[in-house]
Amino acid sequence: MDAYIQGIIILTGINLLAVLGLSVLTGFTGLFSFGHAGFMAIGAYVGAIFSSKLGLPFAAAIVAAAAGAGAVSVLIGRLTLKLKGDYFCIATLGFGEAIRLILNNWKWAGGARGWDNLPASVTIWNVLIVDAIAVVLVWNLLNSRHGRNMVAVREEELAAQMAGVNVFRYKMIALFVSAALAGMAGAFMGHYMTYITPKLFNMVKSTDLTIIVIFGGLGSVSGSILGTLLLTALPEIFRAFSQWRLVFYGLAVIVIMVGRPQGLIGGMELTPAGIRKIAAERRAKSALAAAAKAAEQGGEE
Amino acid sequence: MSAILEIRGLTKRFGGLAAVNDVSFDVREGGISGLIGPNGAGKTTIFNLVTGVYKVTAGSIAFAGRPIADLEPYKIAAAGITRTFQNIRLFKNLSAFDNVLTACHTGAKYGLAESMLRLPRYWREEKALRAKADELLGIMGLADRRDVTANNLPYGLQRRLEITRALALGPKLLLLDEPAAGMNPDETEQLMRLIGKIRDDFRLSVLVIEHHMDLIMGVCEHIHVLNFGCTLADGSPGDVANDPKVVEAYLGSEEGKKSC
Amino acid sequence: MVQFLQQLVNGLSIGSVYALMAVGYSLVYSIMNFSNFAHGAVIMLGAYFGFYSLTLLRLPFGVSFVLAAVGTGLVAVLLERLAYKPLRERRAPFLYFIITAMGASIFIENLVVATIGPTYKTYPAVFGQGPIQLGALSIGRIDLTMFVVSAISLTALMIFIDRTKMGKAIQASAYNMKASALMGINTDRVIIIVFALGGALAGVAGVLFGMKYLVYPQIGNITNKSFIAAVFGGLGSLPGALIGSVLLALIETFVSGYLSSQYRDLIGFVILIAMLVVRPTGIMGKSAEDKA
Repeated sequence: MDAYIQGIIILTGINLLAVLGLSVLTGFTGLFSFGHAGFMAIGAYVGAIFSSKLGLPFAAAIVAAAAGAGAVSVLIGRLTLKLKGDYFCIATLGFGEAIRLILNNWKWAGGARGWDNLPASVTIWNVLIVDAIAVVLVWNLLNSRHGRNMVAVREEELAAQMAGVNVFRYKMIALFVSAALAGMAGAFMGHYMTYITPKLFNMVKSTDLTIIVIFGGLGSVSGSILGTLLLTALPEIFRAFSQWRLVFYGLAVIVIMVGRPQGLIGGMELTPAGIRKIAAERRAKSALAAAAKAAEQGGEE
Repeated sequence: MSAILEIRGLTKRFGGLAAVNDVSFDVREGGISGLIGPNGAGKTTIFNLVTGVYKVTAGSIAFAGRPIADLEPYKIAAAGITRTFQNIRLFKNLSAFDNVLTACHTGAKYGLAESMLRLPRYWREEKALRAKADELLGIMGLADRRDVTANNLPYGLQRRLEITRALALGPKLLLLDEPAAGMNPDETEQLMRLIGKIRDDFRLSVLVIEHHMDLIMGVCEHIHVLNFGCTLADGSPGDVANDPKVVEAYLGSEEGKKSC
Repeated sequence: MVQFLQQLVNGLSIGSVYALMAVGYSLVYSIMNFSNFAHGAVIMLGAYFGFYSLTLLRLPFGVSFVLAAVGTGLVAVLLERLAYKPLRERRAPFLYFIITAMGASIFIENLVVATIGPTYKTYPAVFGQGPIQLGALSIGRIDLTMFVVSAISLTALMIFIDRTKMGKAIQASAYNMKASALMGINTDRVIIIVFALGGALAGVAGVLFGMKYLVYPQIGNITNKSFIAAVFGGLGSLPGALIGSVLLALIETFVSGYLSSQYRDLIGFVILIAMLVVRPTGIMGKSAEDKA
């Protein structure tokens, strides 16, 4: 395969891991993070330590990256998840920036110049296999009582509590899953590019990921996948317009929120069962409208 | 009949203001009790205290003999107290079925790993949950609206769906916050019958806040009247209706303010 | 002792501009109940407006301030009308407001990158050279200007909010929007005014930062400080934003003066997290239980 095409596929696959996690957090649980690049950074550096310094295999580095980012997310979550939404946003923003600043000052790991000569362990196959596993596990999680509880938290936190949902616990689970996947993505990124710098994991990266989730549609795994495919591959193909890429992103976010808050396919899934469900909802809605109309006419007589 | 809910000396202060002041009453097991009073009397605040949304300032709440004032809301719900809201709070973008299915979750025990790997218990319990959600929708007359997004349901049915969702947890005590708000006399009549039916079919106790006097007087066996956060009267519908203090409070006399 | 006083002066000068940003951000928060993350982009535009009115239009210094403030005030109102108002009308959940604000921020910032370019620009020297000596203390002319302009702007805002009818309407709406609307306050107009005020303050802050540092598309990132300051002081509280800003700036200057400037930015985030843990409502914030 063409090395260029392969590169695009690998990058898309890496992004997909991080987007998938953020989809759980933002799309399904309704929490908004400005700091997920921070979790990617933790994963990238933990992964680098395991492969470069400790000489362990790539698989171990990936697992360690996920565990490291996940562990930090538990700490952050304990401190901030009980707070109101805005405070959580600002806290994640602070977290992401703090991680970057700490890495900048961490001489042992290369400081601001970064860390290079990481083993080039990423292949198109290991990315795609990990992607497939992650998609299946996340999908299964979301389509269970646990996933439904997350959605309940997003839809109406107070009502979720009154329905016996431990809101804090489910927010924590969502944060952990998203952080672990971001950590993995970070480690993949490092071992694909063979170098990492703190600058790679700035706020622009965090918002990039969130935009993909929104673009694909909140509350839809297939939307997030579709969003990743479109928004990672397209800019690579239209490199000439790279300057305008983010202008378009920003505008698209506003237009989506104002005009089509469900994004491409928010709240729906492109699976046979998902499509049947949409059809059922449509039928039910039109039946309801017809009944209402009939009742109205009956009332006039 | 013994009491399922015992409220003793319950007080809630917001800053200097006492929204609920030294209120004591019981909800009898298997009974339908009413909580009435003019606007701002502290009725919804009591619901919020019982369900753990607000922290109690002073006093105690015991549910089935067990103190619950310090429990987290979700634990109180799991222990068997569920509620509806004055301003309906459904999971708006989910179908009626998914609203109920979500609330059925306490009926399943499978863990995170079991759901991710779809182990046998996941399939078994998921099937049971779905059957239960469908059964509940059937009992509550919502089966034909199963797939309608909650947001698109007419107002009366949204209220009914909210009650269905509350029932999904298998509560022992159901708190209804103005279930008849915005309903016409016909719908209120239907609702009265429904509340009685729920009590009998699900063998639970009900505490209802309502402004519709017909509904309260028609369905409640026991009524507690609040005014300005204090108890004004407590007794059977007949006693309460004839209590001069209650009449006064509802006619808006200044005396009401002095009574506590 | 001299070093201590010198740090104090530097801290107050930076802190006053932080306050300019944080008060505008908090003002919008108090009315709209969401974090306007596009505030930084508006500040950045202020820096550019000021820069071009000084260089391209060759306007005097004072006029440039006013022009930048008016310009950013308009941008902020435009943003409200085009992006937030449709969400308000739809009663969209607060998550959508934050996402929209983020989108607006990305849009504005990158529009500047794509049109004007990512390069750094230097404000023309407006003031004479050399610091003002006050005994052993030396105060930079720009630092002094920052403090004076900020103090004037904030005082004007406080007078407006305390003394005018519109100011009272803003206070009432911040306390309870629905009740204010029922009492005959035109809350839609209140929202416009609040965005205009917040935007104007952002514009002034932008010009001051442009003068102190440089002008570039990412200069708006400095608003992160005002978010921290606002949380520090208590989200939605204007006196809180003021106190939080000054404290944050003082802590930063003392940390960079006595420890290392590398930890200056980090300390802000550490304070943020510590504050969220110890007292999430901030210094002046009121703890409100969600009314069910």
